[in-house]
Amino acid sequence: MGKTVLIVDDSNTMRKIVARSLRQAGIDFDSILEAADGQEALDVLHANQVDVVLSDINMPNMTGLEFLKAKSEDDAIKDIPVIMISTETGADIIDEAKSYGAKGAIKKPFTPDLINETLGPLL
Amino acid sequence: MEFAKKIVETTEEIFSTMIFMDISAAKPLEQSKHNIGGHITAMIGLTGSFAAMLNIHCPEEVGLAIAGAMLGMEFETIDADVKDTLGEIANMVAGGLKERFAKEDLMLQLAIPTAVTGKSYTIAPPKTNNRVIIPFQVESGQFFIEIKYNLN
Repeated sequence: MGKTVLIVDDSNTMRKIVARSLRQAGIDFDSILEAADGQEALDVLHANQVDVVLSDINMPNMTGLEFLKAKSEDDAIKDIPVIMISTETGADIIDEAKSYGAKGAIKKPFTPDLINETLGPLL
Repeated sequence: MEFAKKIVETTEEIFSTMIFMDISAAKPLEQSKHNIGGHITAMIGLTGSFAAMLNIHCPEEVGLAIAGAMLGMEFETIDADVKDTLGEIANMVAGGLKERFAKEDLMLQLAIPTAVTGKSYTIAPPKTNNRVIIPFQVESGQFFIEIKYNLN
């Protein structure tokens, strides 16, 4: 069965750029799902089989950190790995993200190679 | 606080990593006014050790070229995707400033970026010392990154 990635970002164009960067990095997902904020991401995870999540942090409605916290408390989806992909990659924010189970972080601006390095070990 | 140096560094990093356009920064605006006419302005607020508003002002043709280069497609008019792209660039510039100021123990939080368009816009040089405007040159023309700040 092919792998599915969920890209979470309030910017429609950034979701497109992340999807394009995955292809440029040679990471071949059968399905790419999208969500515009943390709440949408939780809904997508409950409705689909997702292998890995790439999530922004600074989003309206439900931020990436709030999404991670809610996900970590939900037994049905808590084990799905999440990589943060954001301008917000200060040590304090990343430490908080990791305390909620994030597996790593990619700083914007990013290259396809950086995505490959960070995401590759999880696949 | 070296706002100009930090803005130039982070903008050059963004353009070389994700937009793939040649870019050159000029000295911060001091004298002449620039009427850029039809334009798109992306903006994002920063709060924390100081409060600031960062704006990216692009003439229409420059905004279309930058968004097209970043997304790998051609745009003929300023639409939601172009505004979203410029907002995301503002977000990354602000993130770069946040990272650089954190090394000086000045901590900042970012707001959500937004973008607006208009038909007539003139960039005037700053009259106070808490405003910096950097002109950048790309093949399709000039755009400006402006930061207005208040020290707490």
